[in-house]
Amino acid sequence: METKYSVIGKPTGNVDGMAKTTGEGKYTFDMYLPNMLYGKHVRSPYPHAKIISIDASEALKLPGVKAVITGKDVPGGKWGLWRRFRELCDQIALADDKVRFIGEPVAAVAATTKDIAAKAVELVKVEYEILPGVFDPLEAIKDDAPLIHEDFENNINATRHIEWGNVDEGFKQADYVREDKFTLFPQAVVSMEVHNSLASYDKGTGKLTIWSSTQSPYYLQLGLADALKMREGDIRVIKPHVGGGYGGKNSTMPDATTAALLSMKTGRPVKVVFNREEEFTTTEHRMGLHLAIKIGLKKDGTILARECKIITDGGAYTGLGATALYLAGIFQTFPYKIPNWRYDAFRTYTNKVWATSVRGFGAVPTVYAAEVQLDRAAKEMGIDPLAIRRKNLMEPGYEAPGQYKVESCGIVPCVDKMAERIKEKWPKLEKDEGIGYAGFAYMSGGIFNWIDTPYAYSGARVQVNIDGSVDLFTQAADIGQGHNTVAVMICAEELGIGIEDIRLHPGDTATAPVDLGAWGSRETLMNGNAIKMAAGQVKQKLVDLARAKLGENIAYDLVCREKRIYLELRPERGYSYYEMVEAAIKLNDGEPLIGTGHYTPHNKGMISPAYGMGIMAMKAKVDRETGLVEAKDVLIVHDCGQVINPLGARGQVEGSVHMGLGYALTEEMPNDNGLVLNPSINDYKIIRQRDMPQIELLDVPTYDPSGPFGAKEAAEATISPTAPALANAVFDACGAEFDSNCLKPERVLKAIREAEKNQKNKAKAKK
Amino acid sequence: MADWYKCPVCRKLSLEHQDLARHYLGQTDKKHKDWLKSKNLSYSHLITMQVTEFGNKGYDALAKVLEKEAAVVQVDVK
Repeated sequence: METKYSVIGKPTGNVDGMAKTTGEGKYTFDMYLPNMLYGKHVRSPYPHAKIISIDASEALKLPGVKAVITGKDVPGGKWGLWRRFRELCDQIALADDKVRFIGEPVAAVAATTKDIAAKAVELVKVEYEILPGVFDPLEAIKDDAPLIHEDFENNINATRHIEWGNVDEGFKQADYVREDKFTLFPQAVVSMEVHNSLASYDKGTGKLTIWSSTQSPYYLQLGLADALKMREGDIRVIKPHVGGGYGGKNSTMPDATTAALLSMKTGRPVKVVFNREEEFTTTEHRMGLHLAIKIGLKKDGTILARECKIITDGGAYTGLGATALYLAGIFQTFPYKIPNWRYDAFRTYTNKVWATSVRGFGAVPTVYAAEVQLDRAAKEMGIDPLAIRRKNLMEPGYEAPGQYKVESCGIVPCVDKMAERIKEKWPKLEKDEGIGYAGFAYMSGGIFNWIDTPYAYSGARVQVNIDGSVDLFTQAADIGQGHNTVAVMICAEELGIGIEDIRLHPGDTATAPVDLGAWGSRETLMNGNAIKMAAGQVKQKLVDLARAKLGENIAYDLVCREKRIYLELRPERGYSYYEMVEAAIKLNDGEPLIGTGHYTPHNKGMISPAYGMGIMAMKAKVDRETGLVEAKDVLIVHDCGQVINPLGARGQVEGSVHMGLGYALTEEMPNDNGLVLNPSINDYKIIRQRDMPQIELLDVPTYDPSGPFGAKEAAEATISPTAPALANAVFDACGAEFDSNCLKPERVLKAIREAEKNQKNKAKAKK
Repeated sequence: MADWYKCPVCRKLSLEHQDLARHYLGQTDKKHKDWLKSKNLSYSHLITMQVTEFGNKGYDALAKVLEKEAAVVQVDVK
């Protein structure tokens, strides 16, 4: 395809791919420091209990044990990501009065080896007074339910009510109204790299350096500052390569606080690494919830009103759960025009590990319910499921009152392309096969500032050296999604050079400008804009110099491309990039050329500057004897603006489908009075490569004025439609309806039997 | 000048009783809950109604009480 770009839009291997695949690239997990100690937590066996006493004397006698800390050793206070609302900053480093979930840390040991640390943990004696627990949100809000946080009556952690239009009138005018109820199960994060941190405190200077597997060095710096009662600037966070985050590494977690506290106590570096069981039982996950949804439509399929109510199982702390509550509502409205909409949401505390932002950030369960309900309505009304979606699609400029405005919007051409392609791709279905559809959209970074940062949302600094090489500094976080590659591609495109000319210095709070981290698919748009601005400043200096040397008409435009700076319409008239850099630095009194860039969204509504969107179709086959569902084939038509790196974008889409398929088919977290029952990779079934369907990805390019070169998100949108597209395919194949995700064979068989019974009853009624 | 309704517990002002009820049920502190108890209302019951039934039943039930209880404040909206 013809393109005006030299770098972006070309499939590009990850800039750190070689380091990662050869093992040269270092993750925190791989790091060791001289004299390093190993930290390990003493964890609560009870979901809700008062701590009466902690006796560490036996543990301290064990040779090799260097320190034991409890809640009394924590100098700071509570922390959290909702810093604008301090009452929601409820996390603590080590429980000091009571525990609120099974596995909550109450103490920690530092020892010379991992084995000694593990033995010492068993020697710490903790006396508890067991309190009654509460594990379901509808139980948690009862007046006689035990209080999990004393200041939060009825265990209500956060609430949301959003309404526009006249919902009751919309339902009155509807020709068809239906109501459905769902229970959506939580989903674990299962990053390949577990939570782990290595802290080194310098007692001489009072400064802390910490290497951590985090999605946001800046958030970790803030969390540690609160927990340790230190200045942010005295804490240096370094993010090495990260083996996945998916939302589960936004919060400051006990791996980091404990490593820091133990290092401060011992004066030695301390490393804390969670094992896989700790990952499943004590780290954040996607929220479970009860949901009720109602839709009203005209005869022709036009949506007139929708109402949705949810109550979520928040767990013991807030994390980003309060934001997930908001986004769960907002993204349920996409990508459709809904003139009248009401959303009520309540997040409850329960005695479980807490729920937070996980890939799709709130959207996944509510989009499931909305898209499944739309298919049920379409079937009852005798309308084709793709046609009912086509009828209600957003268009460019669409506004949801008081919430968001959509600028670039390729959803109509996406659905039209889908309709064409589907006829060619799946002209005929086999027995017990069905096709399901689901529309989707997702933000390119969030506008909401719950962290209350006074800094720009993203910053970058570019330094061009005498040989033309570029040092690019930013705290933006590559957590496996490929942002390092996107960052250098944007920088290279703006300067008109190659990615080999750029050395990236990412994820270090001591050397790089603040970026809020990798969540909500924000890095490409927000950090991309900051990088483009920084590189653009240097580019302007080079262009000005070239213009002066050329002495051309001031109206003639110069471009930087292919390592040259030249007149756009007279490419032969210009200079080499390297020549201009050398001249510019000499003119600059020998200073390297520096550009700084930042990005903060303005006048873009409450949610995001731009939205990636599209439509997914899934072909699935149902085995009516066993209940086994096979996801056979996926077709996605996707508008993610100008694609920066097609290889990376495809990887993100495949990853989203993989995680979405787990949510659809196999992943859930059964819980017995606060105890997670499947805390291992063996028992918690993520989708294997061999179970992945074929994925065909078609692009509908658009240009979004908010994005760098018109780019939008590509990392999360396609998780939300995966489960409903699958459920809708099963519904299409055999009429089975589900009121939950995770279509395990036993659930499918039950739903098939129900569907058969309903069909027989309907047939009888007709006779 | 417009009539605003004042939350009986805090300084929140709303133009509609239902909106004031929404504010009220969004508060998580003891003071708001205690006032509900003093009016023989159950927070849990109101929330359960609001979240498990369609419509604004929880808010409407509280709004009816607030119609009698919320002080009217005149505010110059200019």
